[in-house]
This record gives sequence, structure tokens and C-alpha cells, in this order.
Amino acid sequence: MVDSLDSRADTPETSLHRLISGVCNIFAVLGGLVLVSIMLSTVFHVLGRVLFNSPLRGNFELVEFGSATAIFAFLAYCQLNRGNVIVDFFTARAPARVVSALGMVGDLLYAAIAAVITWRLTLGMLDYRRYGDETMVLGLPTWWGFASVLPSVTLLTLVCLYTAGLEMHGVIRGGRQ
Amino acid sequence: MTPFVLSFVMLALLLVMLVLRIPIGVAMFVTGAIGYVSVSGWEPLMNHLKSNPYHYFSTYSLSVIPLFVLMGEFATRAGMSRALFTAANAWVGHRRGGMAMAAIGGSAGFGSICGSSLATAATMTQVALPEMRRYGYSGALATGSLAAGGTLGILIPPSVILVLYAIMTEQSIGQMFVAAVVPAAIAVAGYLIAVQISCYLDPDAGPAGARMPLIDRFRTLRSVWPVALIFILIIFGIYGGWFTPTEGAAIGAFGTGVLAVTLGGMRTTEFLDCIYGTARITAMIFLILLGADLLNAFLGLTRMPTEAAMMIVEMGLSPMAVLLAILAIYLVMGCLMDSMSMLVLSIPIFFPIVMSLDLGMAPQDQAVWFGIIALIVVEMGLITPPVGMNVFVINGMARDIPIIESYKGVLPFLAMDVVRVLILVLFPGIVLWLGSVL
Repeated sequence: MVDSLDSRADTPETSLHRLISGVCNIFAVLGGLVLVSIMLSTVFHVLGRVLFNSPLRGNFELVEFGSATAIFAFLAYCQLNRGNVIVDFFTARAPARVVSALGMVGDLLYAAIAAVITWRLTLGMLDYRRYGDETMVLGLPTWWGFASVLPSVTLLTLVCLYTAGLEMHGVIRGGRQ
Repeated sequence: MTPFVLSFVMLALLLVMLVLRIPIGVAMFVTGAIGYVSVSGWEPLMNHLKSNPYHYFSTYSLSVIPLFVLMGEFATRAGMSRALFTAANAWVGHRRGGMAMAAIGGSAGFGSICGSSLATAATMTQVALPEMRRYGYSGALATGSLAAGGTLGILIPPSVILVLYAIMTEQSIGQMFVAAVVPAAIAVAGYLIAVQISCYLDPDAGPAGARMPLIDRFRTLRSVWPVALIFILIIFGIYGGWFTPTEGAAIGAFGTGVLAVTLGGMRTTEFLDCIYGTARITAMIFLILLGADLLNAFLGLTRMPTEAAMMIVEMGLSPMAVLLAILAIYLVMGCLMDSMSMLVLSIPIFFPIVMSLDLGMAPQDQAVWFGIIALIVVEMGLITPPVGMNVFVINGMARDIPIIESYKGVLPFLAMDVVRVLILVLFPGIVLWLGSVL
């Protein structure tokens, strides 16, 4: 499925890079642990339903909360490690400078999207908190879900700006090595 | 500019951005956003983004995707690829080209717990390629069979792309899974024939190995039964309605996770690797879904897909010609783009067109059938020269084999793919049969 990954290895040895990649790793692992938790709760849910006729109450809602939290937490890691799919067929022989410049444009567009989403979801969270919207079974406030993804989209915005910076460095120096 | 024309301008802009290396999800999001603002204005878009990204990612039906990705990561760690290859080789290794057949069989088995073609190709190559080289297999047959075998990963359920197609076209995931079973079996049969053709054309391509006593053959099956158990439990559990697709994926991820710990020796480091792999692939998929969601919202506003479908019906073209044209587009695009992004991008436009064609099937059957055909055609792009991502990946792991050899080796398998597509197009009943008898 990961068919055309941009696999250019690019790991600058700076303390800034170590910091950013450390934070992205932490978010990815936390997201992964949330995912494993909903996996386990769902297995218990099914076992309980099939064997003892007592499903886990509100598992549906936990899965919804959990998957959103996990997925958003993965985005920054994927962006930093160049995991997003691009079509590189047409630019396979382009000069490194051009490739870096195009990469910078892509990163800046993604940064803009992430920034707008951060801004809009923050307002969305405030709205939901004001209206006191809750889930049906467990009565979890909906705004908690929004709050749990805001750090992730904020981080994503910063990481996109950082990778755009790396590409700009590449344009100046004549392409990433 | 009418919304109809605007939608085509936006799609043109999208293609330009794709050519210029803009990530596919980002390009879809940007064009969708521009189109949305042009049709409805700034305020509605801003309201849409206020809650939609969160609600979309927290949709229960989509939670099946990260769980299947996690399952694939665990499966890769579980070392089942070696057990599957060894078992298949015990049964057919003594034939000419038998080890290549075992690679096909092993890939099929691995594909039944892993929903990704590249992962299937890469893991099976690590196990089978050194063996085949040791026994003097030609580079063409060795890499060709592994590249083709890898494409089974996506066709054999459970697979992430089948899930995505089902969700996007509002079909039942269980029905898609069951519909894929017989075409997958035909694919395996076709690839086995392709191995024999390769050996016929080049008698030295695949020397026969040693014959194993029957008792030892059965012994090798002992280590692969968990794979069969997980596969059957998930496919028929979801189809039979015992559990939801998300629950099936959770059970599958749990099962392969247990295998990874017990058989694959997964500890903290390897577990973290699985998490990182899951993070990367999941985020890659959901960025595309996020972009596609906005692009589709815009296309929905313009009513372009339905109008285009109506226009094609009014032109009075033969339904089969329209279908073949769509498949041709898929084949060409499949060589340039990865299969998942291509399906996500094209389904909203092509699906209404296909559904408006009178191919003599019930609408629901037609939807399921088209999904399987489209998936197969897209997958052919993975092994079609001059790109063929699977061929690249495997050739990268076999430095001594020139890429031109690998392309040559893949040709008999591609030929069988063409035959398979023709069979399934001419006899749709093959795809629908299993679902109708269960």
C-alpha cells in the first residue's frame, strides 16, 4: 500500500532535529498505546458479549474517541519521516534544487492546512464545551475528544514548518544529500 | 463558470499539483478547499472545518483501518512468512519451479493476515529469495514470482483497500471480503500456471528440489494453522455478522500480536517498531482520506459526478466500452500512483458512472463486482514495467539481478492477470458466487 514513499533519508544531526523527532516519536508511541488499548477493550467487549452475554458498556464510544486521538497523534511522525505519498514519476530526473523547492511548497501547504485545522478545531472545542454535548452511553463530554487532538495538530503545524525549513536549506545548498 | 466546469478546472489543478510532487492528500485538500469556497463561500468552509476533521477521524467505521494496519505490522513481526513458505515448499518444492510456486503460496497465506502488497512482497522476499538463489533459480523467475505474489496481499481479504472501497461506496465490508475470495483463488491458480510457463520457456529457470516424505509435509502444516484460523475467523465472523469489521480487526490484531510475541519473539523494541510502522501508514492513509473528504464535499456541491454519469448514459455508448475505458485509465494511472490514493481519488467520480451502466446485474452486485475488478487492475500497475513498485522493492533487495531481468520475469504473471480480468469481466457470477451460496 505504501507504494511511492519519498524515501530519501534525511536526518540532520542537530539538537533541534533530535528534539523534534523525539517529540514526534513520543506522540506516535502514545497514539499507538491508545490504539492498542482500544484493540484490547474491543476484544474484551466481543468476548464478554459472546461468552458471558455482557458486552463492555460504551465500547463504541471509546473506540471513536481513541481512534481519533491515535490517528491525529500519528500525523506529525509521518510527516517528519516523509511517509506521505507523492507521485515522483514525473520529477524523478529533476535537479535536486527543484525537488527541494517543490517539497518546500508541499510542506508549506500542509503547514497551512494544519494551522487552519488547529484554529478551527480550537473554536469547535469551545463551542462543544459551551453546549455541553455528551456521548450517549458513557456521558463523556465531546469537547474532551477535541482537546485530545489539539496538541497533535499543533505539533503537526510546527513539524510541517520545520520540514519546509529543511527543504529551503536544500534549495540554498543545492538539494538534500 | 458553472459549478460543473469549475469541478473540471479543479481536477486539472489537482493533477498539476500531483505532477509537482505535492503530497496527494494535501493536493486534494487544497483543491477541495478552493472549490468549496468558490461554490459556497468562505464562511461555510470554515464552519465545516470546525468539527468535521475531528468527527471524520472518530467515525466508528473508519477505526477498522488503523486496527488492520496494526494487524499487518504484527503479522510481519510474527515470522509467519518463513513458516508459510516452508510449508508450501514442502508440498510443491520437488516440482520444477516448485519453490517459485511455494513463494506464490506463501505470499497468498501471508496476504490473508496482512493487507498490504508491499509488506507482503518485502517479507516474502527476505525469506524466499535467498532459498531460490541457493537452488539456482533464475533471477527473472525468482523476482517475478515474488513481485506477482506480493500483489495478492491486497486482493486477499482482509485488506485495507477493500475496506476503503466498501466504506466509500457504502457497501458491506463483509460482502467485499467474501467476494474477493474466489478471484484471489483464481489469481493464485493463474500465478502457478505462470510459473509453469516460465519453466517451460526457460527449462533451467527453476530446478526441482528434494521430495519430502508425506509425514514431514503434514508436520509443516502445524506451524501455519494459526494463520488459517485468524483468516477464517475474521472473514466469516464479519460476513456472518458475529462482529463488526472494527471488532474483527481488533480480534485479528490481537491474534497476530500474540503470534508476534510467542513465535516472532516480539519484545519492547520490536513492539515499538510495529507502533512506528502503524503510525506511518495510518497517518499516510488518513491524510489522503482527509483531503478526499473535502474534495468530495466540493464535488458533491457541484453535482459533477452524477451529471457526468448522466451525460455518459445519454451518449448511448455500450456499457462494456465505458467500463473498459475506465479500466484502461486505472491501468495507466496504476503505473504512476499508488493504488490506494488512486482508488480514493477516482471512486467518487467513476463509481456513479459505473453504477449508471446497465451491465445486467443488481446494483449491489455491480458495486461489489466493480470494486474487485478495479482493485485487480490497479494492482497490475504494481508489477507493470516501466515502473512497477513491487518489482522495484524486490529488485532493491536482490542487488545482483538486473532490473530488466525482473521485468522479464514478471511478464508471464502480468499475462495471467490480463486473462483473469477478462474472465471476471465476462463472467461476473464468479465474483458473486460465494456471497450467494453462504
